[in-house]
Amino acid sequence: MERFIDLAVSAVLLAGLYATMAYGLGMIYGVLRVVNLAHGGVIMAGAYMGWVLHGRLGLDPYLSIPLVVGASYLLGVGMYKVLVRHLPRGAAGGPASLLLLFGFWLVLRNAAYLLFTGNDQSITTTWSTRSVALLGTHISATRLAVLGVGVLVPLGLHALLRHTHLGRAIRAVAQNPDSCTLVGVDVERIYTITFGLGTALAGLAGLLSATIFAFNPGSGSGELLKSFVVVVLGGLGSVLGTGIAALILAVVEVFAILVMPSYLTAAVGFIMLVLVLVIRPGGLFGHRVLG
Amino acid sequence: MLRARSLLPLALGLAGMIGAAAPPVKVGATLPLTGSEARIGGFFKEGYELAFEEVNKAGGLQVGGQKMNVSLTLLDDTSTQATAVSLADRLVNADKVDFLLGTYSSHLIEAQSTVAEQYKVPYINGGGGATKIFKRGFKYIFGTISPVELLGTTLMTWIDGQQKAGKLPRPAKIALLWENTAHGKDFRKGVSDHVAQSKGAYTIAVDESFALDGKDFGALLGKVKAAKVDLFLADAHLPDYITMHRQYVAMGLCHKVVSYGARGSEKGAIEALGRENVNYVLSGVWWSAQLAAKPGPSRDFVNAFKARYGGREPEWFQALAYQSAKTLFTAIQQAGKVDREAVRQKLAAMKQGSLLPGGTLEFPAAFGQQAQNPFVLQQNLPDSGAPIIYPPDVATGTGVAPNPNCGK
Repeated sequence: MERFIDLAVSAVLLAGLYATMAYGLGMIYGVLRVVNLAHGGVIMAGAYMGWVLHGRLGLDPYLSIPLVVGASYLLGVGMYKVLVRHLPRGAAGGPASLLLLFGFWLVLRNAAYLLFTGNDQSITTTWSTRSVALLGTHISATRLAVLGVGVLVPLGLHALLRHTHLGRAIRAVAQNPDSCTLVGVDVERIYTITFGLGTALAGLAGLLSATIFAFNPGSGSGELLKSFVVVVLGGLGSVLGTGIAALILAVVEVFAILVMPSYLTAAVGFIMLVLVLVIRPGGLFGHRVLG
Repeated sequence: MLRARSLLPLALGLAGMIGAAAPPVKVGATLPLTGSEARIGGFFKEGYELAFEEVNKAGGLQVGGQKMNVSLTLLDDTSTQATAVSLADRLVNADKVDFLLGTYSSHLIEAQSTVAEQYKVPYINGGGGATKIFKRGFKYIFGTISPVELLGTTLMTWIDGQQKAGKLPRPAKIALLWENTAHGKDFRKGVSDHVAQSKGAYTIAVDESFALDGKDFGALLGKVKAAKVDLFLADAHLPDYITMHRQYVAMGLCHKVVSYGARGSEKGAIEALGRENVNYVLSGVWWSAQLAAKPGPSRDFVNAFKARYGGREPEWFQALAYQSAKTLFTAIQQAGKVDREAVRQKLAAMKQGSLLPGGTLEFPAAFGQQAQNPFVLQQNLPDSGAPIIYPPDVATGTGVAPNPNCGK
């Protein structure tokens, strides 16, 4: 029983991390239909922003959330205005957007190598190794905090999308941008804001990850892959689906250790990805991904 | 992007050049000066530079009755296999180097050394410890870096001593965690071979590998917790050590012996994890600056390094790079001519004094011409840094077992 509780707690904490990493990717695709391959690069950049603020200004990573989120939002707005807005929309823009955003990721990565070298870094606070005793087990304080953010973010997004004029406009643009233009919604503005918000969420994920893992300029690819799995599993464009998919992925990965070697458990998620794309291409809770 | 630069025309002082009638011996190397391995590539560059500078300042090598300077053509392989291979080809065929020194990291050396073998160029490296590199029957590769298997063996030998002294239980249950790489597999082999020969002194209760750059070790550590083991022996690179040990501490785990292989005493890891959380962690390294406590090659090297690099203390990376270059120089002098085959034969038969633990260096054919020098074990202790605790002849402190933290 104790083992089961340990694994369940691990799964829930891991789900918080996966969900936080995936929200931004899902949001941008849900509205703009652009697969943001620079997502991993922005996660890495968010980690470095937090590291610099912590190292140079002594700012606790959780206190630096507004700064990192704000800076990432501005980065996203800049990316959209300078790069993404010039891409053709729809299927025609697919390959172009993939190449462009992948290229931007490489730029971010090499800029980080230039600025910070390839050394592994991490954000260490006085509570980095603290834990909370619960249900007879110890729960890492940092992972618990990440889980908290992983729960608060979708609630905030849900409130934004359901109860504000901006949120309604975002949802409308996600459904039919042409009709939105006809009724006076500034679609370009909505795209800009959405790309900024998605990028801000990626920056937030990077900051939170940096409180748990060591990172370097090459970080981000693993996070991007996990985000893909979560977003596709949950259904692109579904905030609730993203959260639940993160939980499913984490539970499967963590409990897989009971039946297979540890190094293979990460592959379980990718097997799930393939199965979902074949059997239920729209994901478990969202729209069709393909076709 | 392939960014190859000739970084280092390390061809001596001008006076030496004017005086030397013979052309210099040309040595080529690539290092990961950019990319993911850039930090350590930079360390190797320092070791190479120091060795070349020293020999040229001393007037060059004595080769067959004449003094010859040595020049190093150093290129950036950008931490990628394809570039490491193509630049090695360029060094041999375009730059016409006489000999090669190795790059850093096992996966780059494994790929690059095929070029040396193809063109029959002696290739000495101190940065690729995976045994599989040396199990291919190659004749031109020589490794100054001992196999990671020996790290596992050395750890277990020290643990044996503690067990025989009654400080650890017999039989002791081990959790053996290893990264799923050649490095990790070698570590596992070293520990498990020792356990197999221990006549029941140990049992391996958990034997699990994990993927590099893991994001969560909760499930794995949960398995360790459930197995109620005595010894926690892991092999991990720095990022995984930090992530795993943070979770280890947060989960309230504690074992009588804790080791993450070569990790543990690095300043960066101690800062990331907090000194109190890494106390009593054991680590094994190929060389330590503490070996300079006694007169000998290590002291000479540390003094020269500090003089050259502003008082900074070298790590094992610079030491092995330096030793690799010096070993090549010795072989060239012994051969008495700049001839690849003659130098290869001298390297194969070499037994020279070195700064490595054990004091001598040789390349046994039985091990694919990979050195078999012992590791030095260090242990993080609360008030005295990370002294060498094993082997006894070079120890600068006394190891502690069982881990006193577990009683708190």
